[in-house]
Amino acid sequence: MIQRDRLLPTLHRMLMVAALATLFAYLLIYVVYAGNLIAFPFDYDQGEGFELVDTILFSRGEFPYKDTNLYPFYSSNYPPLFHVIAAPFVWLFGPAYWYGRLLGFLGTLITTGAIGLAVYREGRRPAVALLAGLAFLASNTIYHIGPLFRQHMTMVMFETLAVVVLAHVSEIEDARRRRRTLLVGLALILAAGYTKQLAFATALAVFVFLFIRNPRRSIIWGAGFALVGIGIFLWMDFATGGQWWLQTISANVNEFIPAQTVGLYRLWFSLHGFLIVPALLMVGYELYFSRLSIYSLWLVAGIAVGVLSGKWGAGDSYFATSIAGLCLVSGIFLSRLLNGDLAFPPTNLYARLFVAPLRRGVPLARAFSLLLVPLLYIGYGRAVLHLPTEGVIFAPAADLLGVSANALNGFYDSAGRIAGGYADIGHLTKPSDVDAGWQIVERVREASGPVLSEEAAFTLLAGKEVITNPTQLLNLANNGQFDSSQLVEMIQSQAFGLVVLRAQFYPPDVLIAIAENYRQEEVIHMNGFDYLLLRPIP
Amino acid sequence: MISKRFTLSKRLLGVLMMAGGIGAFAAIIGIDIVDVGREGGIGPAQQIALGLALGLAVVGLTLIPLGDAPA
Repeated sequence: MIQRDRLLPTLHRMLMVAALATLFAYLLIYVVYAGNLIAFPFDYDQGEGFELVDTILFSRGEFPYKDTNLYPFYSSNYPPLFHVIAAPFVWLFGPAYWYGRLLGFLGTLITTGAIGLAVYREGRRPAVALLAGLAFLASNTIYHIGPLFRQHMTMVMFETLAVVVLAHVSEIEDARRRRRTLLVGLALILAAGYTKQLAFATALAVFVFLFIRNPRRSIIWGAGFALVGIGIFLWMDFATGGQWWLQTISANVNEFIPAQTVGLYRLWFSLHGFLIVPALLMVGYELYFSRLSIYSLWLVAGIAVGVLSGKWGAGDSYFATSIAGLCLVSGIFLSRLLNGDLAFPPTNLYARLFVAPLRRGVPLARAFSLLLVPLLYIGYGRAVLHLPTEGVIFAPAADLLGVSANALNGFYDSAGRIAGGYADIGHLTKPSDVDAGWQIVERVREASGPVLSEEAAFTLLAGKEVITNPTQLLNLANNGQFDSSQLVEMIQSQAFGLVVLRAQFYPPDVLIAIAENYRQEEVIHMNGFDYLLLRPIP
Repeated sequence: MISKRFTLSKRLLGVLMMAGGIGAFAAIIGIDIVDVGREGGIGPAQQIALGLALGLAVVGLTLIPLGDAPA
């Protein structure tokens, strides 16, 4: 029989095991999903193929920032680093999706490790550190964008590594070591920024942190950082004849949809609230009773940048940085809560006013925290529930949990599909999807002349030239920076043997020209979407 | 402030946040005053920005009583 004084620690251990089992289950689901996507040879998420095209261009030593008014009307709106990292794979394996997805997947594992390491370093609680890391992968958002051929999670990896490296830089007394640490940390920030523009928020948080700790150091290193960052920027702009600025900055000023931002913030809170609350308590604690850490400032910056998720073309991925931050900061808070080392200085006004009267409740609160900490992770595990609902393992698991598919292709996602901008992915692909993809490739091969395809995979695999990047053309058109006349002329003269449409993200005048000169002759269903195959009207 | 050992106090951080918040608030309102040709008044994006600026100023204000404690 368990003695009364052993009851709470025993319950704590049992609940911690349950929390770890829950989050490990999500890790397994994530690995299955990643494996499934890595083996899938076509676009899974809209736009992945164009990231592959960028990678191919870099592997040839070409910039993908091109004049979209001219044939083949292709350009990229993303910075280069992710594609440059993937470029050697093109030399070795040719054009394929698996290595980009593998890189994205590995990036999320590295981020998980960095979160766990940071939490362990600050709280010395291995189980909480593990939970904090796993919580990152368990997030619905991280799960569904992690193993894509996209640069976003690589940016988050660089951001996380940067803040973990820089967290204690101000306390390093040895000047050489401090300089080395600053150099590595700021290089990682630069890497994040040249992976995706959104890392500017992390860069701001880092420099605010350095400014608070030592303004002189912040100004000197900030000047050096700006010099290198702007230097690279100007060189790329010069090397691309101004296309770098036009394609990656000007074209990214898109329409802002406030309802989308509000919806995504609500969704973000409903999924991650169990960890957001402790993370914000940590921010408040540091702000009023301790010193602000780089982690707290990073979390605030990550939450703030979520405002941009309302831009056309943006979505829940814009919350990925804040999710890494909230897993990390909540992990530190919960570790320190268990350790009982959240100190409230007696000289602090607010400690005297608000904390001192509660001192008698401290032993009770500490005992309560033994149950609260694992319960928060279990609650989080329930809130982010997502899993495939088909197959020998997942079908009985879904039955056991009492859930059924509420998304495409046999997939349950607690996020639902209610917020605009939430990516409609996460399901596993099937052999029939692969067959359907090859069927489209065959049609592209058979077509005479060039093919206008809304996804790059079909033309790449058919050995034909990739023409246009539809969303980028739409970005530019929305900003009055795309002259569609040459493309429309080609469509009107039926220069394309086949047109493959899915989401119809081309600018309106291009879509009108297609509708007037091509007719839909076939629909092939792949991966939950209808691919429309249009041939010239005789 | 530019010495090798200087670090921001809670009070100074509070003052800077308050000044930044008030400055940002005024600048956002100023957009409509300067750019009089704009239509529709203060839009949703501006409202969000105004809320954030105001929040920054209020948090800054609450830090000022914490004096010389390092931020």
